[in-house]
Amino acid sequence: MSKYSQVFKISLQDEFVYRLNFVLWRLRNVFSIFLVFFLWDSIFSVQDRVIFGYDRVKILTYIFALMFVKAIVFASKTMDVTGEIARGDLSNSLLKPLDYFKYWLTRDVASKTLNLSFALVETTLLFLILKPPFFLQNNLISILLFIVSLLIAVALYFLILFIVSSSAFWVPEMGWAIHFIITIVILEFLSGSLFPLDVLPKPIFSILSFTPFYYLIFFPIEVYLGKISGGEAVRGILISFVWVVILYLLMRSIWQKGLKVYQAYGR
Amino acid sequence: MTKTENTVIIKGLTKNFDVRFKEAGLAGSIKSLIKPKNIVKRALKGISFTVSRGELIGFIGPNGAGKTTTLKILSGLLYPTNGFVQVLGFNPWEKKPEFLKNISLVMGQKNQLWWDLPAIESLKLNRAIYEISQKDFTERLNKLTDLLDVGNLLSTQVRKLSLGQRMRLEFVTALIHEPEILFLDEPTIGLDVIAQQKVRDFIYEYNLKNRATILLTSHNMNDLLDLTKRVIVIDSGEILYDGYLSELVRSFAKEKIIKVYLAKESDIKKFETIGKIIKLDLPYVSLSVPRESAAVAASEILQSFAVADLTIEEEPIEGVIRRVFKGEMVKQS
Repeated sequence: MSKYSQVFKISLQDEFVYRLNFVLWRLRNVFSIFLVFFLWDSIFSVQDRVIFGYDRVKILTYIFALMFVKAIVFASKTMDVTGEIARGDLSNSLLKPLDYFKYWLTRDVASKTLNLSFALVETTLLFLILKPPFFLQNNLISILLFIVSLLIAVALYFLILFIVSSSAFWVPEMGWAIHFIITIVILEFLSGSLFPLDVLPKPIFSILSFTPFYYLIFFPIEVYLGKISGGEAVRGILISFVWVVILYLLMRSIWQKGLKVYQAYGR
Repeated sequence: MTKTENTVIIKGLTKNFDVRFKEAGLAGSIKSLIKPKNIVKRALKGISFTVSRGELIGFIGPNGAGKTTTLKILSGLLYPTNGFVQVLGFNPWEKKPEFLKNISLVMGQKNQLWWDLPAIESLKLNRAIYEISQKDFTERLNKLTDLLDVGNLLSTQVRKLSLGQRMRLEFVTALIHEPEILFLDEPTIGLDVIAQQKVRDFIYEYNLKNRATILLTSHNMNDLLDLTKRVIVIDSGEILYDGYLSELVRSFAKEKIIKVYLAKESDIKKFETIGKIIKLDLPYVSLSVPRESAAVAASEILQSFAVADLTIEEEPIEGVIRRVFKGEMVKQS
């Protein structure tokens, strides 16, 4: 186990090398929160307006919860796997008695830990500046379900990234383009990180609820807000868990095939 | 010892690569994007050899001959298309931890050190990965840094080191788990003469002290001459020669060198009819002649000139190796 705790340590050190980079990245996050916040704040500026089942308090809570959930789910180093495969740096890890999957999971956790601690500070600061009405969930079961759904979201995102990154085994030169389309365009859009997904037309929304994307951001937040609770929440957790299993098996099989065509470039 | 000492066994190993064929220029790029065309590159065409424990073997051959591919298969990075491969009793491809703990692959153009951190951090990580006890770690680290003279560089950020310093630290990091087999791919590439010598001395020591098996590829003549006894000559995926470096000359040299000291001045034009003049520094003349006619040429010289001294020598090994690198060697039946 100490293998991976050492990986955790060195990952944190590595992140700290580019302090300025990191701070600017966090700053970008804060700005985007500001934007989304003021957008929705002005939409709900009319007293007691309710749109798509959201009133001012709930939508602003959504925004704040979004910041937090995003910091946990989307903060990930795993995108670098593409480059590691394409450049042949993967060889370094393959030569060692080290599980590559666990290695990146650990690096991911390190990255999330760092991002989360910053997100905590940012949230507090923004909270003090914007003084939004915030909905504090006090139902223990909802909080518990929220934590479970959050862990599943982390696993889902990690697996999706790993699978997408494997494309570099076959098309190393297109790795980044595929990444951009899938992780940035599709994931941001379909996960609920730009807007709550239930503002979408009902049929699309229903279809989405059977895809893994739905469970990345939107579902955990809704569970926290109590909009999804009880049996509905349990059902969602089950569906998303099935996705974790499916994606895990898929990732393993793709990875097995990928390693066979891996050419260990770099020479 | 009853147990066989073969650390590496390869039989009929082939490796094919699918290479995407791409025509030159932008038009070619677009064409290959729309209609990709794969061609199969046969990197290894059924090679076989065995290596005993403690041997230090050099792979020589021109670029693209299959040397690196062989090392990558032996270390488990590449999946062999066909044939039998066994290293330390394991199938490398399976990447069993017990296997990985006993090998190391160092590539002169690849690094495992964390670029933004001091080398000691990468070393600590390897200590954890290879599960080395703190005591062994300290001992080995001291020994390796002494041998390679890098003790004072451990806490410098890797990116700030020179290539030679970095390469030596790469060695420390790659050997901290004291592997039984070491695969070295161009270990001295890009290093200055002094750094090259340090690395060479180190490889020699490591082989001797640990009785480690070492397989190396190099385009550096001195690496081969100083370090290896046995060489495997490989070209276009086939083994052309496997044996002692000293005998390489005997099996491949097509020419012999005749060195002559003339007793008095004479018309040297006649030499040109006997052989190819390599060096002319009167009264010294050296010329190369076909192997089979060396004796005839020598007697002709003795008859035609007043000779103070005459020797017939083998073509220097450097010359033979140089021809190997150029791919001028052909398979002997």
